[in-house]
Amino acid sequence: MAWQKVASLDALHAGEVLGVEVDGTTIALFRIGDEVHATDGICTHAYAALADGFVEGDAIECPLHQALFDIRTGKVLAGPATESLRVYPVKVAAGDVLVELGGTEPAREAPAATAMAPRDGGPKSASPRTGNGAPESPDMTGNGAAITTRQYVWPGNDLTVIPDWVYTDQYVYEREVEKIFHGRTWNYVALEAEVPDAGDFIRSNVGPTPVVVARAEDGSINVVENRCRHRAAEFCRELSGTAKEFVCPYHQWTYDLKGKLIGIPFRRGIAGKGGMPADFKAEEHSLRRLNVTTHRGVVFASYAPNMEPLADYLGPEVLREFEATFDGRKLTVLGHYRHSLPGNWKLYHENLKDPYHATLLHTFLVTFGLLVAGNRSLMLTDKSGRHGVMASAKSDVKSVTSDAKKEMRNFKEGMTLREPRFMDFIEEFDSPWSVTMATIWPNLIVQREMNTLGIRQIVPTGPHEFIMKWTMFGFEGDDEEMTRHRLRQGNLMGPAGFLGLEDNEAIKFVQDGMQRVPDGEHLVKLDPATEAGTADTLISEAAIRAMYKHWRQEMGL
Amino acid sequence: MLDLRQAATNDRRLEALLLHYEVETFNTAYAAALDEQRLTDWVEMFTDDAFYVVISRENADRGMPVGLIYCENKGMIYDRAFALDKTAMFAPRYLRHIIGNLQLLGEDQNGDIRARANYVVLQVLFDRPDAKLHQVGVYHDKFRRVGDVLKLAERRCVYDNLLVDNALCLPV
Repeated sequence: MAWQKVASLDALHAGEVLGVEVDGTTIALFRIGDEVHATDGICTHAYAALADGFVEGDAIECPLHQALFDIRTGKVLAGPATESLRVYPVKVAAGDVLVELGGTEPAREAPAATAMAPRDGGPKSASPRTGNGAPESPDMTGNGAAITTRQYVWPGNDLTVIPDWVYTDQYVYEREVEKIFHGRTWNYVALEAEVPDAGDFIRSNVGPTPVVVARAEDGSINVVENRCRHRAAEFCRELSGTAKEFVCPYHQWTYDLKGKLIGIPFRRGIAGKGGMPADFKAEEHSLRRLNVTTHRGVVFASYAPNMEPLADYLGPEVLREFEATFDGRKLTVLGHYRHSLPGNWKLYHENLKDPYHATLLHTFLVTFGLLVAGNRSLMLTDKSGRHGVMASAKSDVKSVTSDAKKEMRNFKEGMTLREPRFMDFIEEFDSPWSVTMATIWPNLIVQREMNTLGIRQIVPTGPHEFIMKWTMFGFEGDDEEMTRHRLRQGNLMGPAGFLGLEDNEAIKFVQDGMQRVPDGEHLVKLDPATEAGTADTLISEAAIRAMYKHWRQEMGL
Repeated sequence: MLDLRQAATNDRRLEALLLHYEVETFNTAYAAALDEQRLTDWVEMFTDDAFYVVISRENADRGMPVGLIYCENKGMIYDRAFALDKTAMFAPRYLRHIIGNLQLLGEDQNGDIRARANYVVLQVLFDRPDAKLHQVGVYHDKFRRVGDVLKLAERRCVYDNLLVDNALCLPV
């Protein structure tokens, strides 16, 4: 490749960065004393021009997320970037700065899950002095194979627009598994009532990862990965049961209820031949254990070694609503539902942080005058924005203002149920709300819909699908009539629920739309008076914005 | 000379055959009503005190009562039909029931006729109109004569596919 003049030396000042375009490539030029250096001009993290960045000694700081690179070598000095910048050979001749393109490949520090320039006409957040404009910029690796790279550009400067890739991209999903479900989060796994006695176990998941939740002899609850340490078999096959130990069916490797490896058949071989190496240490091959916390009969697990207590994780307001539902009475399990939803798992969180849809989608509520736009309600978020509680109070006032009626197409006056008692609310909880739907990041919904109570656990399988496992419960002390009431009222919820089924359908429509008409955006502009956070109006998307504020921070996107 | 034992056996078998035919005819009409989304007709196939539940095998095996649909009487069955017909939002679809393996299991003390049958519901959505298995299970039934019409006093639909495909939008 030829040397090309890119600038005159006079234009280059020490401590500054100059951006130039050469043959469609953006280059950043630096002067350190008498040395001139050239690197790629676009940050390897997201699509930002380093020419707009800040030189600090021998390093260049990206203006967008403050990634730091060594000017001489291109290496990453500070994240969120993980890939080095390419550097180019430079020479100065007769006052001209020349650069040789097709330069040195920097050492790859991370697998290439990297950048594609935004589609022409698509939203760009970087300054005008960017981009080569090409939809894809192939990178040549050492062995000559071309890999396509992708950039994750967030359109606009705020949270009122969300790009499709948040919901449809495979790399984003894999990063979510790593940084969220396997990160500093508490993940719901079971109710204590599901493993009441020593030896009881139940299969569950943390994110997509299968785990086993077991009650050990000492009464402790243990959560281990459902993967044999020998040759990876998912050893626990029953949905639930009771056992003294876990035996992998393939080679009968045996683990105790805490996951400790206690048995390896023919460990010492037979007649002096074969077997495990003499120095094999079984204690180093126990099932991978997660950290566990329980509160009011609800069991959580985390991959993080040093999680804060659950009370701190939830924050005081969300904790109060959690404790209003789990009020200290012992739980009884009434049954499970399981269904697969063909959408991104975050759409479910959004649905329960979206009070706007309540009277517009769920016409059952409106037709029978059960929820009207004027009801007392609250869409609470915690300080971080990740958790939320959608709350409403059943009002006695049946009259709806005529304005509100006009906005709700489906309001039909005078309709009544033949069996209306299933909509009765029996005062049971110490709470001003008759309904609270809590979204507890990342995988839990706590449903208190009057007297029908449920846990909903999110198990993502990829960007386009998640499984939801429901655990419906009551309390010890419920008499038969109360249990029946909960079951009747349960018709509102679940995969066939009067309210539940419509959300499932809507989520499918959203994912269908994104997959079939790709590379678009979502508008979350309702209620500009609240940037992101708690709102006391139903007509708000502030809670959704709060969730993505948190998400972007955790994901580095 | 008539073989009276043979005649008696034949009578019993004919009676059983006739009952089998009657229940099968009922099930065919039941399937058609749901397939054609004639939910009012579906409601009328139940007695006033009928119990109708759609429940997973997971819950049924463990003696847990929660069902996708849970109706304790005809009033609730009517409300379910009305709500789905008039208020529920869901994508349009075709549904097709196949009911078979019918077994008549005898009579209860109060004269209710116990029966069971396998069922399969296939579903076609329109955005990608391939036919998918939506539900497979067993009907556990109690039939009762109301006048000269056979009606359901109880139908427990116990489904094997614990993982429901998104939503159950219509009764099975």
